[in-house]
Amino acid sequence: MYKMLVIGLSAGGTPLIRQLLSALPKNYSLPIAIVAHLPEDHPNHLDKVLDAVTDLPVRTARDKEPIITGHVYIAPSGYHLLIERNHHFALSHDKKVKCVRPSIDVLFGSAAEVFENNLIAVILSGANSDGADGVAMVKKLGGLCIVLNPEDTVFNTMPNAVIRAAEVDYIASIEDIISLLVCVDEK
Amino acid sequence: MSALIKWKNHHIEDVEVNLLLHALNERYGYDFTGYAKASLKRRLLELVSYFDIEHLSQLIPIMLYDEAVAQTVINSISVPTSDFFRDPFVWLHLRTHVLPELASFPRINIWQAGCGHGQEVYSLAILLHELGLAKKSHIFCTDINPEFLDDAKKGCWSTRNADIWRENYQKSGGNGTLSDFFIEQENKMFIRANYKQNIEFIQHNLVIDDVFKEVQLVICRNVLLYFGTDLQNHVLTLFTRSLERGGYLLLGRGENILNLKEQHLQLELRDTSLQLYRKTMDMDSNV
Ligand SMILES: C[S@@+](CC[C@H](N)C(=O)[O-])C[C@H]1O[C@@H](n2cnc3c(N)ncnc32)[C@H](O)[C@@H]1O
Repeated sequence: MYKMLVIGLSAGGTPLIRQLLSALPKNYSLPIAIVAHLPEDHPNHLDKVLDAVTDLPVRTARDKEPIITGHVYIAPSGYHLLIERNHHFALSHDKKVKCVRPSIDVLFGSAAEVFENNLIAVILSGANSDGADGVAMVKKLGGLCIVLNPEDTVFNTMPNAVIRAAEVDYIASIEDIISLLVCVDEK
Repeated sequence: MSALIKWKNHHIEDVEVNLLLHALNERYGYDFTGYAKASLKRRLLELVSYFDIEHLSQLIPIMLYDEAVAQTVINSISVPTSDFFRDPFVWLHLRTHVLPELASFPRINIWQAGCGHGQEVYSLAILLHELGLAKKSHIFCTDINPEFLDDAKKGCWSTRNADIWRENYQKSGGNGTLSDFFIEQENKMFIRANYKQNIEFIQHNLVIDDVFKEVQLVICRNVLLYFGTDLQNHVLTLFTRSLERGGYLLLGRGENILNLKEQHLQLELRDTSLQLYRKTMDMDSNV
């Protein structure tokens, strides 16, 4: 039933996303799009870091590229990542949202409109409130919202902001998030 | 007759976006219907709170009768964000490879499309001066938006981002200082007049207007991102026609030609991370 997984993370999120991706089976079918706040104008190394821990193909999302099942896409630094109605990615250089670009809110908002209740949104850790509006939008359009338990990270501003902004479905440890994500894909 | 079906708001907003784009096109001749929809919709919906209305479609009658409102709408669709020497590694490559190679041409014609407030065209002019190529170069600097073009022509920016621009310039291989290029006054920086000499500012809409002929370099960064696939293909064909054989096309770092091999036989990818292409030398490719 689910067709797309979007994940947002900022400060403290790199070890968590590594742990998450390394635990997904290699036939995991949901395409995954990740927004991580990285320093702008920096060659994007997160793709290499993540490629090393998973058998799933990991790449930097490119403009106008169709989303492929079982692939992991990372938003390039300095650009917002969006999803078009035809399930292709789109990049934009519109102004920063909440002082960041790429913005988790922008990806989640556009993904919510395209995938509605076929979307899963996950927020890990971070020191700002990006993601709160995005998750609220996902929730409003029927998607499944999962947030890391703020007690599990020192960078808890982001998960706390999300929990305040929306009635999320799960507040969970990283291990439980992984089990959930594996479980929904097997159904 | 069956009952009408309830729609979610975001589907209705899609209808509003389309209606507004059609009104803008019919009334003002600006055709944004082929633009990529997801980010366009985000920018248009920001106007709802800006104009303090409830629905985007309420803007249509106002915009039809009030040119100033229409200009605000157009400005919010065409995004002018830019920086001096943005993505310095790209400028470093222009400095060390592309421009020195073009130096062998008797004249260097460059088309810089989508100039925004001009940061990019003056970055280019600075490079040409530093390489001693300014005298034999001519730059066609174009944008759809006359307000942006006027700003670009003035060549004046807030000093707010000067630190970033200085750092970009240095990373792009520059040895000078910003004061070589700018005069600073009350939080504003003005480009020095000699960097304007060989730039021609022209209003030009990539959707409907024709090409500049026989250019050796087309720079169009972070414009095609905003276009849908069909419109992107149309514009790439324009650029290919515009280029001399062996000339270069530079797109934005985040841009991507999906169907290069099928539809753009005369363009060959030189470097993915730079998004640098070259028009092939062979005579009989069909474009
Ligand atoms: C994001 S700015 C790019 C500025 C600069 N090239 C850079 O990369 O830093 C995009 C520019 O494209 C212009 N533009 C949008 N649609 C256009 C069209 N149909 N024809 C020409 N220019 C267009 C906008 O007015 C805006 O100035």
